[in-house]
Amino acid sequence: MPKVVACFKWVVDEAYIRKGGGGALDFSAVDYKLSEYDRNALEEATRCRGEGGTVTALTAGSPEAAKGLKDALSRGADTAVFASDPAFAALDSSQTAAVLAEVIRNRIPYDLIICGEGSGDQYAQQVGPRLAENLGIPCISYVQKLTVAAEGGRITAERRVEEGVEVVEASFPVLVTVLPEINIPRIPGVKDTLMAGKKPVVTVKNEELPPLGAAKLKTLAMTAARLERNCELFGTAPEDIARFVTALQQKGVSG
Amino acid sequence: MAGIWIFAEKKELVLELLTPGGELAARQGGKLTIVVPEAEGDPADYFAAGADEVVLLSPLAEDVTLGAWLPVLAGEIRAADPEAVLLAATSRGKEIAARLAARLETGLASNCLSLAADADGTLVMERLAYGGAALQRVAVMGRPVMATIPPRTFPPAAAAAIPGREGSVRTLPPPPADTVRVVARKEKERSAQDITAAKTVVCVGRGLEKREDLELARQLAAALGGEIGCTRPISEELHWLPDNLCIGLSGVQVKPELYLGLGVSGQIQHLTGLRGARLICAVNRDPNAPIFLAADLGIIGDLYEVTPKLIEEVKKIRG
Repeated sequence: MPKVVACFKWVVDEAYIRKGGGGALDFSAVDYKLSEYDRNALEEATRCRGEGGTVTALTAGSPEAAKGLKDALSRGADTAVFASDPAFAALDSSQTAAVLAEVIRNRIPYDLIICGEGSGDQYAQQVGPRLAENLGIPCISYVQKLTVAAEGGRITAERRVEEGVEVVEASFPVLVTVLPEINIPRIPGVKDTLMAGKKPVVTVKNEELPPLGAAKLKTLAMTAARLERNCELFGTAPEDIARFVTALQQKGVSG
Repeated sequence: MAGIWIFAEKKELVLELLTPGGELAARQGGKLTIVVPEAEGDPADYFAAGADEVVLLSPLAEDVTLGAWLPVLAGEIRAADPEAVLLAATSRGKEIAARLAARLETGLASNCLSLAADADGTLVMERLAYGGAALQRVAVMGRPVMATIPPRTFPPAAAAAIPGREGSVRTLPPPPADTVRVVARKEKERSAQDITAAKTVVCVGRGLEKREDLELARQLAAALGGEIGCTRPISEELHWLPDNLCIGLSGVQVKPELYLGLGVSGQIQHLTGLRGARLICAVNRDPNAPIFLAADLGIIGDLYEVTPKLIEEVKKIRG
């Protein structure tokens, strides 16, 4: 059965980002989480593993991302590989894909690689397809249903496209990016967390890898997105409802 | 050599990309090239809308994916060496863009809301990050500058702006099949309605208790002359509505005149999908629901109590 690699990212939990003065973002009180989309990737990897397969959880990040390893392992992965270096703290998609490809190429035997459709922080939706290119393997993105053939060796995937669904087949090795609706990720229990602490973790340092290329996407500014409006609030009394509907009319949009 | 390339799988998406693409090409004085499947209409329409060169992709065999064009596209773009390549951020477009960027060893700005040259000519793109909480300004360090742009971000370039305008047309022969093979195509269950074009959208969220209660939202939408949409849990976890009605970062983006949320709490990922709405209204029994921060008008109350009253009042006013 297949050797599956699930890639994940340890990201800032956007719920903790505060708005500072002048549209700035305040990251001083942030907490981190395993990117939501990657929880689906890990869940799907354990589902595809079947009897006798393996799941390796893989991430690249700064040493602080070590917290994510236990989280990923508590979600059913057998082992974790961590490309850890302070230089990996803010990689762009091309750099992340390059690091992951180098780690996989020389260290992790694989049949199937599963990534989330995008990351919870940048949501560039590039690492999966770029990783497939770097490894020279086929890529199937935005998959909502994945089946490993009973006889092994290949997969069937339903990918969501604009006009509906495209059902495709590919032989191993192959990379798939998955949509959130592909499964409902487990919520790890106490036992899962305890077991996760006993699972093997391999750490790979920057100096063990070929030199990291320069970022190809430069962030010039990051400001608070302006979504706030001044909300006029109403109750549920008949006169409130009437005023509310009148306000709709007056804005000239109810007709 | 200067130049702007555009790739999209549908005619309307090419026309949308011709709006920013035309501006960039005019600014740098370069050629504007579009790449589109042959079935997507008459090249004359693209010339009229500002294209200088149309590269047509021959029809593919049934079992071949659009991704099979990747090596051909990479070769064409390498040879032409344009300054920028713009692609529509559809599922296929986003995958092809990322794989092309890897092959061309350049940067890609994904899901851009705007793109413009700054004072010294650098292309600067704006996009959302952190689930929509942040606006990120980015520049690509590499050539070509690549960007994907979601459908309906720009209005289509006027198709008859320059009548009789001509250009060159090339047709590329079909590429060899790649290793991913299409075994079936399914028109998914989709709503016949197109909420991205609706002037009024009534959106249901987790506050809705059961599937049958969608009828309440439908009645309000009908009274307002609009369509219904939903938040992600309604389509993707509960499957009460098809996912082309799911509004948000990973769903559709809507720009109606009126958005009315019923039992929608207002997660940032959802709010991101309606930031273009002119008037945002919300009904929620939780006064602390984040949607009230993003709304213009709000009713604090139970949607089951409020919605029938709204339907009645709207009918009364509109006769």
